[in-house]
Amino acid sequence: MTAPTAPTTSTTPTTWVGRSRPAVEGGEIVTGDLVYVTDRRVPGMLYGHVLRSAVPHARIDVLDTADALALQGVACVLTAADVPVNALGPRDVDGPVLADGVVRQVGEAIALVAARDARTAERAAALVRLELTPLPVVDGPEAAAAAEAPALHPDGNVSGRIAFASGDVGPALDAAHLVLRRQVRTPAQEHVAIETPGGVAEADDDGVTIWCGSQNPGLHQRKVARALDVDPAAVRMVAGPVGGAFGSRNDDPVPVYLALLARATGRPVHLHLTREDVMAAGAKRHPFVTDIEIGFDEAGTILGSRVRAVADTGPVITSGPNVMKTSAEMSTGPYRFDVASFDGTVYYTNNANAGAFRGYGVPQVAFAVENAMTEAAHRLGIDPVEIRLRNALDGGDRHSLYRHATTRSLAVRETLRTAAAHPLWADRARWQAGASGPWRRGTGVATAMKGVGMGSGTGDTARARLRIDAQGHVTIWAGPNHTGQSIQTTYGQVAADALGLPIEQVEVRVGDTGEVPESGPTAASRSTYAGGNAVRAVCAELLGRCERLSLPLATDAPGAGTKLVDLGEAEMVAEFRLPDTEDIGLVPPEQLATFAPHRVYGTCTQVVRVEVNVHTGELRVPELLCVLDCGTPINPGATIGQAEGGILQGLGLAVMEDHQVVGGVPRTTSLENYLAPTIADTPAMTTLFVPGSEASGPFGAKGMSEVVVVPTPPAVTAAVLDAVGVLPRRLPVTPERLLDLLDETDHGPREASCD
Amino acid sequence: MRLNGTEMAAIPAELHGLRLLDYLRDVAGLTGAKEGCGMGECGSCTVAVDGRAVTSCLVLVGQVLDADVRTVEGLATAGHGALQAAFVERQAVQCGYCIPGVLNSCAALLDRDPDPDDAAVRRALDGNLCRCTGYQRFVDAVHDAACARRGAGAGTEADA
Repeated sequence: MTAPTAPTTSTTPTTWVGRSRPAVEGGEIVTGDLVYVTDRRVPGMLYGHVLRSAVPHARIDVLDTADALALQGVACVLTAADVPVNALGPRDVDGPVLADGVVRQVGEAIALVAARDARTAERAAALVRLELTPLPVVDGPEAAAAAEAPALHPDGNVSGRIAFASGDVGPALDAAHLVLRRQVRTPAQEHVAIETPGGVAEADDDGVTIWCGSQNPGLHQRKVARALDVDPAAVRMVAGPVGGAFGSRNDDPVPVYLALLARATGRPVHLHLTREDVMAAGAKRHPFVTDIEIGFDEAGTILGSRVRAVADTGPVITSGPNVMKTSAEMSTGPYRFDVASFDGTVYYTNNANAGAFRGYGVPQVAFAVENAMTEAAHRLGIDPVEIRLRNALDGGDRHSLYRHATTRSLAVRETLRTAAAHPLWADRARWQAGASGPWRRGTGVATAMKGVGMGSGTGDTARARLRIDAQGHVTIWAGPNHTGQSIQTTYGQVAADALGLPIEQVEVRVGDTGEVPESGPTAASRSTYAGGNAVRAVCAELLGRCERLSLPLATDAPGAGTKLVDLGEAEMVAEFRLPDTEDIGLVPPEQLATFAPHRVYGTCTQVVRVEVNVHTGELRVPELLCVLDCGTPINPGATIGQAEGGILQGLGLAVMEDHQVVGGVPRTTSLENYLAPTIADTPAMTTLFVPGSEASGPFGAKGMSEVVVVPTPPAVTAAVLDAVGVLPRRLPVTPERLLDLLDETDHGPREASCD
Repeated sequence: MRLNGTEMAAIPAELHGLRLLDYLRDVAGLTGAKEGCGMGECGSCTVAVDGRAVTSCLVLVGQVLDADVRTVEGLATAGHGALQAAFVERQAVQCGYCIPGVLNSCAALLDRDPDPDDAAVRRALDGNLCRCTGYQRFVDAVHDAACARRGAGAGTEADA
């Protein structure tokens, strides 16, 4: 186990992997010198504005831009008819760039305006004449599934379904000593990246360049090319620096808006969405209703589980079915048992569009699984850590749903044991006894695992390009992109150690499709693992060339560089294809990518202390322990920083965050009424690493930035159970909900104590 | 207006109705102050006005014509280089978009309280949203800076 490391000193170490290294762009951040994409100011640039729907579902009868165009200072007003290919993806369900004949969501983009200043653009948008006929609103999955529901797409309102069974669960449940049948609900969650989407685009005869944040610059390059009906080579995405992402920059259409406006006007265009724009139109974490039936024997051994989930993806597909694919895989938690099934359905509705969000379908089903583990321990009189240890999936074990082989580095058991040995867990009885007044104290534990990369059968690949110059300086262009984790700092550490060069001699560049070879998204906890391996591979290529030519790179980099430049061998590209699972188990080979089971997983156990005020339902979280299984932490300080940020997002989901939509109309419209954790809500956090090394990872590393979000909500509800005897099943656990649960316990039947 | 210690030429009346944030970013060319919500909730546009941390999206230029305004670009010359360095060394920055506002809140605190305790730092930062970090390192960095400033002589330019 490694404690958080002290800040680095000015001494120059000989190796960098495993050493905390401040972000390479940190100096520019703290002086304000770093120019974010929305800070870009170009002479003569126009300002863009997006006209959006204020209603959830309506037919567009009249869309007349004449008055808007007539306003002095307006350069263009674009509607669906002006978009060469009005599509955000290859399928109808990807949705249009601009609403065409119908709007299906509050916030849907209807028209784009560019004008000499922001105020003029906004005034012009208000002059667009829009006449709408309201249509019936599909206000949730239940309404979407109803026989008389209006079809939001030609093929109906089912966006996707994934079902799998490892066998017949019924007999296992029949034989069980304890069967829990429970339904849990998790809300839509807003990313709240502090920079709202925006940037600048410039177009000329050769093509268009867009400076706009993206977690997947290559995908956005293709989206822009499709909408503009141009060759992707004519589109350059410069996807940073960006002020946070967390999933929100996977599906974001703003690069397309920027490119259209620049193309239409022939001038640079700046666009920066308001927070209200993003709250209405930005993709959320999918709200889920998850049903679990799970059976245990008297010793707490899981005998089988059946999980059904329903998700609301809003009017367009974005990541919906892929999110549910990840839910399916993680519906058996980090546990080993004999028989399991999953059946998940994603529906189209007129609610807020949902898409990728850190954790990607896992927090929702993990809440059902972990709450059930907590309740089973409570009912069977087994310690909550012990019941998890009795069922833990060990490295190399077969996955409980798909029966595929998992990585040997999996360390669920070690994270549980480390957490249990920590004073936060070990001293919980004494801490609980120290409660006073209306405040009751409790401690909860939960554990989780999450796959690294896009999964088996998907061909998931990252690439890196390297050039050495005559001074012996190495430049590496690599992906996935940086969206806040300073992944280029990590890549630099990998490269310096792989090459045996001083880290100052290695520069890493990310995020620009004009320079970086296609490397896929900053998603699925894959950046360190996939990008780090690609960097390592390209470094190996350089070392191979040096060895072949007997060039001593480490001792004479300028000499080696000079020779390679002379020979025309100074530049090289390498790729890393993420390995599939060694044995795909029950998954039909032709459907491998449909279920995409992972080979590599990271795991995380958390212990949370809560205090509950029994008079008001208020809940405080003073302390939290996070134990991580991420293989080698390449930059431990950065890894812990990622963990802390992820924990706070999990805590927000647990106790306050809830993007509310009623009848298709959002009620949480800004940061005034959507709450996210501030420093006042933040517990004292400790993050520990369990020792381990992933054989297929760069220097033993594997991903961790999503799994840290997952255990926090069920650990909080477990702590609430410990404190006041009720186990909340609906997130977030607001004071009102908690007070209702406490009232039910006071007056209701025994069964209510676990609702 | 004195902006980062420099007396500005008279600001024409037609700019008095601008938000201070827009004046800083689009007129003065200081893009360190960021916009995250436009309603004073996220704190990423926080600057110091006469030593007080305020959200510049809620202030009009006409309100600060006689004020001392300090942005992140002016922190080093105002003796807060140690604070900036501590944020980097503590790995307290991730995407960094909230950091200018966070630093201005911390600097305003250190100017009035050279040795704040944890609770004081947390109070000073309760208007600054950060979505990447867990805030803890902000507190550590402020303590580091306070320590460094005491060593160097608080309030001087020695640590700039």
